[in-house]
Amino acid sequence: MEFQQVLGIRRSIRYFEPDKPVEQEKIQKILEAMRIASCAVNAHWLKAVVVKRHDISAEDLEKMKNPVQANVIALAPVHIYLYGDPGVVNKYKGARLKQLFDYGALNPTHGWSHKFVDETVYPQILKPLTETPVYPIALAFDCGIAACQGLLMAFDLGLGACLTAFLQEVVKKYTKVPDDWIPFYQINVGYRAESAEAGGQRPRPPFEEQYFLNHFGQTFPRDPKVVKELEESKMFTTPARPDNGERRKEIRDLARRLNLPM
Amino acid sequence: MGLSKPIAEFDTVKTWGEGLRKQWGGDPLAEEPEMVEALRDFCDFAGEDPDSIIAKLFRIRKEDGERVLSVKWRRHYADKVKEFRAQGDGKNQRRGADVLSFLIHNGVLIQG
Repeated sequence: MEFQQVLGIRRSIRYFEPDKPVEQEKIQKILEAMRIASCAVNAHWLKAVVVKRHDISAEDLEKMKNPVQANVIALAPVHIYLYGDPGVVNKYKGARLKQLFDYGALNPTHGWSHKFVDETVYPQILKPLTETPVYPIALAFDCGIAACQGLLMAFDLGLGACLTAFLQEVVKKYTKVPDDWIPFYQINVGYRAESAEAGGQRPRPPFEEQYFLNHFGQTFPRDPKVVKELEESKMFTTPARPDNGERRKEIRDLARRLNLPM
Repeated sequence: MGLSKPIAEFDTVKTWGEGLRKQWGGDPLAEEPEMVEALRDFCDFAGEDPDSIIAKLFRIRKEDGERVLSVKWRRHYADKVKEFRAQGDGKNQRRGADVLSFLIHNGVLIQG
């Protein structure tokens, strides 16, 4: 699938074929997509633990449910639990940055050297950063970027996916992660029970409210020609609309088939 | 336990019917009478009528007088629905979902 088409077909999918397993190689590809994501200081905070739903006891699955994600996690055959590992910066002490230097990604042309990393970047910037309250925000941002790549890969592979929160204490029984890992979200993955369109592309706030040129308040000009090009490339697909009879019929049929409330 | 009046006359059942009509069009409770039967059987199972179930699920918060969902009673009825669904060798799975539908359309956030 073309990249822009993948962006266009991604939806939060909440109806999965509960008993159709996801191939191991597809799960691996999702993880591989996360691994090559852009990451500040090459730290790679994101850790992910894959758990197949049928390996979770019925009793524990009940305990993992909260009022808003219960049916999603009960239907998705694969749960990928996402964590941030705050310890990586002080574990590697700049070694991963120096690796980028050795491999020609960071260069003296931009001021980089091993000495700069050893004497300035790690001791004066990164290590102090780990001791500030904003550190979890910085690493969460990076983990989000990696998670997004995994999400997009799922759709490229013909799967559906949806991020939800998880109850860390119950989930930890399975993931057995270190105590200092920060729990974020789980990606629920499976084959869609709903159509790929899933009612259409979901509403978003107006472009002009979100993006600015030079300073806040001056909206970035939105060129209709560009919008048209993105429609042609299928990044923009059929927009969702309220009171969509077809979508309602689809959901009603799914509710019947999957024993969900109407 | 028998209900004190026909189930369709309870306010919360009327609210359910309105919610279903608005959401799905048509008149789902009339088209699928087994939904109401499922609720009636659940009421028998729980020993309560529809209005009293919903009444228990909300409480008035002392601090600000707001009507809020009771965590305790939400858990209680979520467990009751699970017990109800587990009956009948799986036949009650669908019927339990109909009871959840009744709760949801009365403003009780609850999933399976």
